[in-house]
Amino acid sequence: MTSLTGHLGAPVVEERVRHAGFWAGAWRRYRRNLLAMYGLVFVVFILIVGIFAPWLAPYSYNKVNLDHALEPPSAAYPLGTDQLGRDMLSRIMYAARPMLLVGFVTQIFAQLIGVPMGIIAGYAGGALDWIVTRLIDFFSALPWYLVVLYLVMVLRPSLENLILALTITSWVGPCRVVRGLTLSVREQDYVDAAQALGIPTRLILKNHIFPQAAPLLLWSFAVGIPTSVFAEAGLSFLGMGVRPPNPSWGMMLGEAGQWWIYRPHMFIFPGLMITLSVLAFQGLADGLRTAIDVNVNI
Amino acid sequence: MLDYTLRRLGGVLATLVLLSMFTFVLSRAIPGGPWDVGVEIPRTPEQIAMFKEKYGLDKPIWQQYLVWLRNAVTLDFGSPYMAPEMSVTQLILRQLPYSALVGGLAAALAITVGVILGMIAAARQNTWADIVINSAAVVVGTIPGFVLGFVLIYFFAAKLRWFPSGGWSDTGYKTLVLPVTAFGVPATGGVARWTRQCMVEAMSSDYVRTAYAKGVRQAGVMSRHVLRNALIPMITSFLPMFPAMMTGSVFIEHTFGIPGLGQWFVSSSFSRDYPMVLGITIFWAVLIALTYFVTDILYGVIDPRVRLTEKEG
Repeated sequence: MTSLTGHLGAPVVEERVRHAGFWAGAWRRYRRNLLAMYGLVFVVFILIVGIFAPWLAPYSYNKVNLDHALEPPSAAYPLGTDQLGRDMLSRIMYAARPMLLVGFVTQIFAQLIGVPMGIIAGYAGGALDWIVTRLIDFFSALPWYLVVLYLVMVLRPSLENLILALTITSWVGPCRVVRGLTLSVREQDYVDAAQALGIPTRLILKNHIFPQAAPLLLWSFAVGIPTSVFAEAGLSFLGMGVRPPNPSWGMMLGEAGQWWIYRPHMFIFPGLMITLSVLAFQGLADGLRTAIDVNVNI
Repeated sequence: MLDYTLRRLGGVLATLVLLSMFTFVLSRAIPGGPWDVGVEIPRTPEQIAMFKEKYGLDKPIWQQYLVWLRNAVTLDFGSPYMAPEMSVTQLILRQLPYSALVGGLAAALAITVGVILGMIAAARQNTWADIVINSAAVVVGTIPGFVLGFVLIYFFAAKLRWFPSGGWSDTGYKTLVLPVTAFGVPATGGVARWTRQCMVEAMSSDYVRTAYAKGVRQAGVMSRHVLRNALIPMITSFLPMFPAMMTGSVFIEHTFGIPGLGQWFVSSSFSRDYPMVLGITIFWAVLIALTYFVTDILYGVIDPRVRLTEKEG
């Protein structure tokens, strides 16, 4: 019994000579990918919007103004107002924050857990590797969004608990990738040589194994973000993510309730932002995959 | 082969036991419980104690788990707290058909359309047809189902009035069109891309070059040499889509107001309905694990190399 998902295979990393021009070559390959370039531009754009939202937003994100409720886009409110008369544009700008927060923070935690576990399991082998592999199998056998949903509901819905729940399901990806890479690097002659010279394991891991994994980590970091972004939108849509009055695109869709049929601006703009963001992060990951020549079976 | 099958089956069982323990411990480790959900006035300690005694929640957790496990082996998952007159199994079987119909049709749609498009893209590699299909697959594959659901309802239910906007009524197939589309179309993108990749990989093999060299026409090479080999990774990815999608998407069911299993899972988790949550989780896990199991076995049958490497590893 290897695994329930054993057929998905360990990552196969092509051997390559990495010279000074590796990152330059990667950038050249990245630029050729139109979707990847869109992703880069959009991500930079949304980062700026999210970080500078208090200065960019024309109104407050939770200023209720019932006299102007459910207004279609106008000069005063470029994207219209919602059921409480709050400015949609300002809310959409502020909502970039939870999206970015969940996307990035979750992946940072996932890497911090998954990478050391993958390196250690792959290098040590034996019982340790067996346990980690079983854990990976266990988590990959479950549909991730069910686990997240369940955890968030048991822990009470909030942004922090959403990040926690997503971290619990997200470390598996980087761990699997890094473990596979470590397994193949461990067999290299220079690692044998380092062992023969009596170099401490800690230093072998740090100086030989980790640098090999670095470009792969960049990709595995990026590839997890679309899932987190989707999860934030979806759970906020169900009312289980971001807490009101803080805005989230998914929550804006969920709150559009019975009005959106008559006021299409209430679902078009948040829906568009969710789709454009997921597409951008997906493009970014796809671009990185070809740029750094990741040859992983997923 | 028998050895291989048994080992796989053992793995499936181990995963299920682990999963049930995980869900069990987690649900009870968190403060609060079913007694303080949806009540205006907090219940008195005596009332809570009575509730706990009635459902055996006052015993140590490992005892509770063993009792649950013993009953679960005989497919008895208890009664939901919220609907004590029914059994968990009955309730699951009552709600499942809604999810299964929408999800099954969506998966069938995604696989049929996706495989055809992916094969066209692979056969016309690097032409405009390939580029169009591939870009469309990427874009379509990233649209969340519930966002697409809103767009579909707006145009085809509210504006054109062709289909009902949701719910589950007697309008027959018409109720199904929009949810199946919203659920299936994003999945089509992934299927098309994976099909293309599998086909392209198979097309670059030596035996394909040999086939061309000995004068086999393209249609022959495609069907006899490329497709056969590309089918292996395709089956392993597409077969699990059926249970995964037939168990229902919470998001799609929420958008269209479908009374499926996904919606029940959410409301049961909200009300801390332990037996129901555990029952649904295990039911889902069994389905998914069984599919992986069948896929693995099928994989071993199609490709003898798998059995050999398994033995070494």
